[in-house]
Amino acid sequence: MNETVFALVSEYGAYVIFASAFLSCLALPIPTSLMMLSGGAFIVAGDLAAAPVVLAAFGGAVLGDQTGFLIGRYGGAPVIDRIARSPARRAVLTRARVLVNRHGMFGVFFSTWLVAPLGPWVNFVAGATGLTWVRFAISDILGEAIWVSLYVGLGYGFASQIDTIATLMGNIVGLLAALSAAGAMALWIRAVLRAGRVRHH
Amino acid sequence: MVSFLKRIWTAAPIATVILGIAMAIAVVFSIRLVAFWIYWADPNHRDQTVAAWMTPGYIAYSWDIPRPVILEALTGSTPRPGRPMSLDELAEMNGIRVEDLIAATEAAIAAHRQSGAGARP
Repeated sequence: MNETVFALVSEYGAYVIFASAFLSCLALPIPTSLMMLSGGAFIVAGDLAAAPVVLAAFGGAVLGDQTGFLIGRYGGAPVIDRIARSPARRAVLTRARVLVNRHGMFGVFFSTWLVAPLGPWVNFVAGATGLTWVRFAISDILGEAIWVSLYVGLGYGFASQIDTIATLMGNIVGLLAALSAAGAMALWIRAVLRAGRVRHH
Repeated sequence: MVSFLKRIWTAAPIATVILGIAMAIAVVFSIRLVAFWIYWADPNHRDQTVAAWMTPGYIAYSWDIPRPVILEALTGSTPRPGRPMSLDELAEMNGIRVEDLIAATEAAIAAHRQSGAGARP
């Protein structure tokens, strides 16, 4: 699959990187990190100019995240209200809301680059649970700047080993994202168990 | 263990399912990382080979060969000015098989290395 992505980038350059960054921030399974890696490699090979690649990746990602946040805000809030009908869930959700407002910026920040597969979902949740837009935008822009420079930079620095780097990064980020999701679910379950215990007393 | 699973299943079934799936995915990625590590430990597996997606510029950079040498190997299939093209596109444009283009490129790399210029370990 790596090679198909590399071929797409060599054929369509910055356009395909922009589209892929935008769509992958809306939870479509598109390997944007691979696109950015190959973008970096084609920059150092003299086939693509640096500015369009970086701007396309960054612009697409930030616009995609903003769209996801808005979808969460206007489409997700009613869903959350329905989930909150059960008392145990309502207690947990209230806790989650407090957590999101207090620590949401960290969540958004790390979900844009370190555990990027979780990014779209964090955007929806941040929008739905009412994280302030300014806070969301600041951490999102900072995080995406790191995401883009990390992958384009790795592609640039390890251009002749791009297939290897792509496989390695894919596995590492996949593992981190799976562990983070497991951790979040463990916290959620613990909170529900606690809420249940409080109700029984 | 079983009673604990039952307890969290009753308390939060959806979260328990997601937790299970996430842990399974984590195991898969760990195995893939270890497999990759073992594969990578063999130096023979580290050399990149010329592939259809590569552009002449990328090949020149990766194998540390001057661009003209690579472009000469692709004679008759000079890239259109203004846009980089992969070997695949070049082959299609010139109506030849990409395998032949790859073979020609590999031969040019080997010949250039043998001539002593730009030798790389």
